[in-house]
Amino acid sequence: MKRIVSLLLAITMALTLAACGGTGTAAPGTTGETGGSETPDDKEDPGDTEETPAPENLTDTQKIIQEAQGMTLGELAKKAIEESNGQMFYGVGNSSRGATALPLFIDYLKTIDPSYTMEFEWQQPKNNKIFDQLTADSLKETGTFAMTLIQDGNQIESKMTQTGILDTFIPKDWAEANGTTAKEHEGYLPMQTLNKIFMYNNTGSKTYDNCWDFVAEGEHGLFMDIDSEVVGKNFLYMLTRDDYSAMLKEAFEALAAEEQAYFTPTIDEMASEAESLGLGADGKYALAWIKLWVGSYNAQTDDGPICNTLVDQSATDQFGLLVYSKLRAVEESASVSRNNVTVAAYNDGYAGMGGFGYSHYLFVTDNTPLPWTACAFIAYLTCTADGFSAWGKDIGGYSSNPEVYAENE
Amino acid sequence: MNQTSALRAGRAAIFKNKVRTFFSKPHNVILLLMGIVFTVSTVAPIVAIVKDTFKIHPGTIDAFLTGKAEGYTLVNYIDLFTSNLARTNLWSPLWNTVLLAVGTCVVAILFGGVFAFLVTRTDMAWRKYLSGIFIFPYIMPQWTLAVVWQNLFDSNAVTGTSNGLLAATLGIEMPLWWCKGLFPSLVVLGLHYAPFAYILIGGIFRNMDANLEEAATILDTPKWKTMTKITLPMVKPATLSTILLVFGSAMGSYPVPHYLGLTTLSTKYVSMNSKYAGEASILAIVMMLFGVGIMLLNQFSLQSRKNYTTVTGKSGQISKIHLGKIGKYAIALVLAVVTFFTSIFPIVSFAFETFLPNPGDYSFLYTGDTANLTTKWWVTATNTSALYGQKGILYNETIRGAFLGTILVSVTCALLAGTIGTLVGYAVSKNRRSKAANYVNAVAFLPYLMPSIAVGVAFFILFSNEYINLFNTYTLLIIVGTVKYIPFASRSSLNSMLQLSGEIEEAAMIQNIPWIKRMIHIIIPIQKTSIISGYLLPFMTCLRELSLFILLCTQGFILSTTLDYFDEMGLYAFSSGINLILIVTILICNAIVNKVTGASLDKGIGG
Repeated sequence: MKRIVSLLLAITMALTLAACGGTGTAAPGTTGETGGSETPDDKEDPGDTEETPAPENLTDTQKIIQEAQGMTLGELAKKAIEESNGQMFYGVGNSSRGATALPLFIDYLKTIDPSYTMEFEWQQPKNNKIFDQLTADSLKETGTFAMTLIQDGNQIESKMTQTGILDTFIPKDWAEANGTTAKEHEGYLPMQTLNKIFMYNNTGSKTYDNCWDFVAEGEHGLFMDIDSEVVGKNFLYMLTRDDYSAMLKEAFEALAAEEQAYFTPTIDEMASEAESLGLGADGKYALAWIKLWVGSYNAQTDDGPICNTLVDQSATDQFGLLVYSKLRAVEESASVSRNNVTVAAYNDGYAGMGGFGYSHYLFVTDNTPLPWTACAFIAYLTCTADGFSAWGKDIGGYSSNPEVYAENE
Repeated sequence: MNQTSALRAGRAAIFKNKVRTFFSKPHNVILLLMGIVFTVSTVAPIVAIVKDTFKIHPGTIDAFLTGKAEGYTLVNYIDLFTSNLARTNLWSPLWNTVLLAVGTCVVAILFGGVFAFLVTRTDMAWRKYLSGIFIFPYIMPQWTLAVVWQNLFDSNAVTGTSNGLLAATLGIEMPLWWCKGLFPSLVVLGLHYAPFAYILIGGIFRNMDANLEEAATILDTPKWKTMTKITLPMVKPATLSTILLVFGSAMGSYPVPHYLGLTTLSTKYVSMNSKYAGEASILAIVMMLFGVGIMLLNQFSLQSRKNYTTVTGKSGQISKIHLGKIGKYAIALVLAVVTFFTSIFPIVSFAFETFLPNPGDYSFLYTGDTANLTTKWWVTATNTSALYGQKGILYNETIRGAFLGTILVSVTCALLAGTIGTLVGYAVSKNRRSKAANYVNAVAFLPYLMPSIAVGVAFFILFSNEYINLFNTYTLLIIVGTVKYIPFASRSSLNSMLQLSGEIEEAAMIQNIPWIKRMIHIIIPIQKTSIISGYLLPFMTCLRELSLFILLCTQGFILSTTLDYFDEMGLYAFSSGINLILIVTILICNAIVNKVTGASLDKGIGG
């Protein structure tokens, strides 16, 4: 079984590396802004390798985007009003809160033109169906969806941008806030970074002060299945990068000798695999951690059930890797409390990674029925505190715009 | 020269006359039209999905292995069947799927069959109540029993989650094989499909001629011999029918194995779809092949099946076995307890869940403090983080929209499937010996035998192209639902039409009564109950269908996908509330139809 798992990982890793194109620049506005969390989507941000097509090769939407990138939010809003007054706007995203943000956007447009109206529908497919949905919609001459809010840079690159289904729009105001321009910016437009962190139920005596503790003998961390939410798989791919492998090695060396003894055979076993995959000198540590994690985690359908479990006092010594923001809705009761949970990385002397971050990206669909409105909405989400408020009011989501980020702190 | 022309003209005229005669009979026209429609609606999705297995999908394994972004290749087959992952991706899920389907059939037949025997052939107490309550698991979406199973048996020590009800209140920790994997999956699905066995086998028991068993008794035949040589062979056809209906359904079930941690072809399809799209389509084809196999087995068994006359003119009485004064209550009590946990407890549990402060937070049970209960999941009127950004059930537009969507899809599917199925049953019964009728009958039934998820996949691929793009539309759901549920109506209609003597319609034909009038005023009124069952079953099945629709629309579109979404997110208060809405809707509809027409769900399951 373990052999199968390692082979599975080897193949999928090779697939990913190929799909990602082998570049190595992190996307802007992520790592530094999120307090040191890492973004697996950005490990090999594929947008870097894209060349700007000649103007005559641009699609109609891309031409509008080029023009829109030179406009302020106010100017875009006027274009949006002209284009979509009385129309229907369809959006699709990995987050359900697009449905909360759209009415705020409409209210904003109404401050410019009180007679403005727009109907909307926001869809949130699960189980990775967003890619199928966007692919199916892209086959129409004029699509249904105006824009999307989407995660998983790997699939975005291989299924969405290389195939011309999605186009990146960089709002002028956002670029300026990040000290860049639309032309100079490389990569996609991240709206926010989310953190998944190791948290454990503290009603028992167990503590976790090293990331290897999560793959120790008998541990079964609660984690969304990597086939259900692929950013979890990307996180594992990311660990094979030299700097993260080195981090894992360092954490391993911080373990007591008897703890090391349990992991050493697996690490040694992975040495040849790491070599065959062309990983760096510490790659075997990454592969060993990945193998142990994949072989041990307790797959859950969502972070919600993981959170429900961890906050219950009966979940003594259980741990999970989940988004921090899930704690927001926990109501204190006789057996359930946020205080039953500890963030592992907050423990003194904690060694290794405390979790990972991933981005939600914004795109205009290339066959969008409302290109100006899509651009204006994207600018509104990324450049105003109101636009980001659907996500910003809770813990765990961090705007990619430093100004909006500061307003939410 | 002239003679030849005359002959030619004669042949042409004969042919023309034959065609005219053929088309003058409405049942021939129906047969021809349905033959064409069913062939297209069955073959086209299969062709689409087969094509997809050869297609290169950007960003997936086939693109990586071929180094191309488009085109066609055999690499998906080669990789799925021969790579080092063949066991993980194909053989192991296939084996689990077969075990699940067989196990489900065994549980459904044993539980449903024994229950049917006790209700129809013994003097067991509370038969009416037990008979009514027994079909509840079929009314509920199948995975809700899986969720109840988790809530009951999970424990921190065994499943690594918070304690379920049994562990929390009694400290009982069930073993892992009981909590996760094959065993709970086949038990849950078996309980869900047991009503099939109950209705089909119960029907035979109810109509059985007591003379057969009485003759054996007179001849001093031991009871076990009477049971094995007379009674059981009588129910063999009903048992085969149950297998026919349950095997494919269990194979194509996605949510139950998904929630209970069993890897089957359905769950593997969903997990592989992002990176192994072409190989996932091959899995769907494997599932379809099982459907075709079952159909062929059914045809074979129909040809070789011995005929057992269960209804004769000699005796309508069946002798009831006396269980004894204590026995009839003791057995009824056992069944009442079992059906309480399969039928009543889930509903109580759903209702209770909607008043918990946090999902799965049973603090109230330990403390008795009502402060640990809340009505927030029902009455919160604004989007709030306390409800994970949702409004309460009574104010939630998503749930309201999904409910209306479900009603639209279910009513339309029921009307279309019921009408088409009735016409098919009529046309086939009128041409019962023709090969064309057999073909139409078989091809109409095929979608039912195919696993739901595979049918969904096939239609998703068929209708996701540059010419027709129906993803996430009610039109697509209605088309797929209609195709899938026609067999409910066609079987129900065919069985009843076959009982109808041709003389009844012929008498009207002699008087030149048009076909439409004959149908409306003669045929339909006589077979009203069966025909209405043919409408009611698609309606009820469609209301809580998930596997068929899960790939065709987003959550929030219909109630079952919304329910699944909330269950996946761990928002059990919402999913439980939706479950209650579904159950109440089905019960109300069943009661209304029963009151108005006399038809009822428990009389029509299984067609």
